[in-house]
Amino acid sequence: MSADGALEAPRPSLFSIALAFAAISSTAFGGGQKASIRQQVLSRGWMDTERFMDGLEIAQVLPGPNILNLAIYCGQRVRGIPGAIAAFLGASVPPFAIVLIAGALYFKFSSNPFVHGALRGCAAGALGLTIGNALELSWDERSDWIRIALLAVTALTVTYLKMPLLLVLIVFGGLGIAHEYRRWRKAPK
Amino acid sequence: MSGSAQTLLHLLWVFSQLSVLGFGGGKGIIPQMHADAVSRYHWVTSEQFTQFYTLGKLVPGPTTIFAALVGYAATPQRPYLGAAVATLGMFVPSSAIMVGFDVLWTRFQDSPWRAILSHGLAPAIVGLVWSSVWTIARGAPSSVVAYVVTAVVTLLMLRTKVSAPLLILLAGGVGVVALR
Repeated sequence: MSADGALEAPRPSLFSIALAFAAISSTAFGGGQKASIRQQVLSRGWMDTERFMDGLEIAQVLPGPNILNLAIYCGQRVRGIPGAIAAFLGASVPPFAIVLIAGALYFKFSSNPFVHGALRGCAAGALGLTIGNALELSWDERSDWIRIALLAVTALTVTYLKMPLLLVLIVFGGLGIAHEYRRWRKAPK
Repeated sequence: MSGSAQTLLHLLWVFSQLSVLGFGGGKGIIPQMHADAVSRYHWVTSEQFTQFYTLGKLVPGPTTIFAALVGYAATPQRPYLGAAVATLGMFVPSSAIMVGFDVLWTRFQDSPWRAILSHGLAPAIVGLVWSSVWTIARGAPSSVVAYVVTAVVTLLMLRTKVSAPLLILLAGGVGVVALR
């Protein structure tokens, strides 16, 4: 097992790891999930706060859903790769089952005019959430005009020129990283 | 090879790529997913794509679980198999990277590159989120009522603590009455 970072005492069973993350993934939404994972992991003594925050940082940088990555990190810290697999299953199987039920209902009832109206309303709402999210994220970039320009050019290029995601990450992700690197080198240390 | 088996392979390939490129929690992959699932392979329509995305936001767990619904729709003969393959493609590659990277990341604990990489990628990701707004709007209803619902939800999300699924359900309630 990967002993570093895990506290000495508890060595939870794989089943209890899977169950802990299944309980979170089947009930918690959005940002609330990170808080739930934090609360569970710390209260069970699986790791200390510093380790957890480290994991949160990795989970957010690497590709993949933050929640799933965070669950895998926690599982791996306490029980190595088998723990990571248990956490993966716990964090992904319940949402999969729930979304399948939603999908089966969707295909059965979406032609009903009332359901159709509800779905259209929900879609308008989800669009609002996405706009809100984009505004929040953009607000965080407001202090640096180069980053704002990069953001705007990315949005326009993807929307109107259909630039493939891989190329976007290489070109605009690369420019962003180069800009950040330059800023770091210039910063007084 | 039968059409269905070929579709399963395409699902696996498309979603595995999105998985590996899903930096920033997968927020930036929506435009590419639409390009593949709607424009290229015609697995779903733009309206379905937006509604699946909506369901993904409505259920607990990661939003990108809606990949399962795209897989479900893509393989009408074996919907559950298609859903499973799309989900495996969406979640397994990024998870494998997470497991493999863990060791490496600890080694670079105090390296400035951690912050440089994560901050440096952010503008591109936010730009992709703006493009996602346009992608999702293509399949959302276009009427004055719908625009008002969208605007009100945006405001409520930014100004109040009402949870995302509740906001979607409230919008759905308006839809039952006014968007049939």
